[in-house]
Amino acid sequence: MPTASHFTTCCTLALSALTAGAPARAGDWVSYRDAYRAMVVFEKYGGQKNFLQSQLQVAPQERGVSFEGVQLTLAGKTNQVNLPLDPLGRTPFPLLKGAYDENVALMLSRKIGSFSVRPRVSIALQPDGVYEDVELRAACEQALGFARYGDGSLRTRQCAGVRFVFAKRAAEIGVRVHRGDGSDASLAVTTSAAFSGDSDDGYPTVRYRFAGSERVQLVTAYPPLAIVPLFE
Amino acid sequence: MTKLFALTLAAFSSAACAQMPATNPMPDGSRDMYVGLGVVSAPRYEGGRDRETSALPVLQVQWSNGLFVSGMRAGLHLSRVPGLEWGPLLELQPRRDVDGAGGAVDGIGEMRIGLVALPLAATNGNRLAGMPVIERRLLGGAFLNYYLTPDWRVTGSLLYGAGNARDGMKFDIGVQRLALEVGPHHRLAFDAALGFASRRYNMAFFGVSESDSFNSGNAVFEAGGGLKDLRLGARWNWAWSPAWMLTTSAQATHLLGSARSSPLVERPTNLTVSTAIAYRF
Repeated sequence: MPTASHFTTCCTLALSALTAGAPARAGDWVSYRDAYRAMVVFEKYGGQKNFLQSQLQVAPQERGVSFEGVQLTLAGKTNQVNLPLDPLGRTPFPLLKGAYDENVALMLSRKIGSFSVRPRVSIALQPDGVYEDVELRAACEQALGFARYGDGSLRTRQCAGVRFVFAKRAAEIGVRVHRGDGSDASLAVTTSAAFSGDSDDGYPTVRYRFAGSERVQLVTAYPPLAIVPLFE
Repeated sequence: MTKLFALTLAAFSSAACAQMPATNPMPDGSRDMYVGLGVVSAPRYEGGRDRETSALPVLQVQWSNGLFVSGMRAGLHLSRVPGLEWGPLLELQPRRDVDGAGGAVDGIGEMRIGLVALPLAATNGNRLAGMPVIERRLLGGAFLNYYLTPDWRVTGSLLYGAGNARDGMKFDIGVQRLALEVGPHHRLAFDAALGFASRRYNMAFFGVSESDSFNSGNAVFEAGGGLKDLRLGARWNWAWSPAWMLTTSAQATHLLGSARSSPLVERPTNLTVSTAIAYRF
């Protein structure tokens, strides 16, 4: 999983910005070309990644910023694209040659103070909310493989588990564990940041650690915002 | 992973030659180009005491096929593996002469011959006076960079063909901290490098033959190969928009080994600073 240091661009510049195309207001733009450069790595990665998803995250430096109604706008001459952000500030990133060549700005539709943008790789959600332990392990290994692809210093890391991140006002927060022997239990809910390096550590999260080899199934009654692989 | 903000705008100055752009993934058929103009203050020559300030063109271009031009260097990224960069490298090494004192050399030279007395360096204080001009040369070689983490890389390059005899070789090994964010749109990069040179390279740039000594007044000096210099550099990039930026750099160079002992060296430690405005196409 990419770390925060991979791609960080804060935007509170108090200068009159000068752009070739659409004028960018000071402090609320990032370079599409730079974002492309960060996001295309996952696209070019040739390893297994069918359990993974890659998104661009807008990460505010202040806690408690709401992304409701906020979107990134790609405002070029040939491309006009609005990218709505999810509650974690993430959005799928379109890889557009026209926007790259035009060197356009990505602008936020609403001021949220200083923020960073960075690539985030997480585990794809299942529509039925049921996750097999073996699939989560495979997904975590895929994420670790991708992380090692870009950062050789992660060679000694191992997959330890996953973290389910829920919305702060989710109707129901929790993950139940069904074991092969028929037992059933709920995992503890704590609060933490969704991703390593995020400033907002107030998200309800459930941590599931890989252990043993018995057949285990995890069930979420309410869809999480993200499932984040944990490396140790 | 990404080497975003590994941006190292190189310029047409020898001090900036050590900078090399990182692999830059982009759409097929695209390019990433910076063109700019600024000012640089640098010692008149390597080891010289006097400084001069001059205009500084800035150029860095990267193409989707891996080809890049960065200041006085051009190369080709051949690696397809993140964390490793390697490929062929060319460098244009600038000409070294008495730097504006050419006419004076001729005139003083006539006087020196007429009087059979004071050598040029003694008469005008310019230790390059009377020394042979070192012509501009195209050096060829290769580079190899290894990323310890996405933000730190070890760099190495080997270049051959320097000096009038085109047989001088130099080898650089260094470490760079890329893309340290210090504020909104402000990024710093740091590098440290050790330079090594062959005996012929050092002889071309720091040696003084008997005839050179006769013409210049500098003591005869047989330069040897080995460690040549230690360089510490910092670069600050301030992006005003996706297109415009201010790039500023400072590099301290400390001559070592045989080069430091050369009679041509007036000041073994020197600083080169530059700043330029660049436009990204």
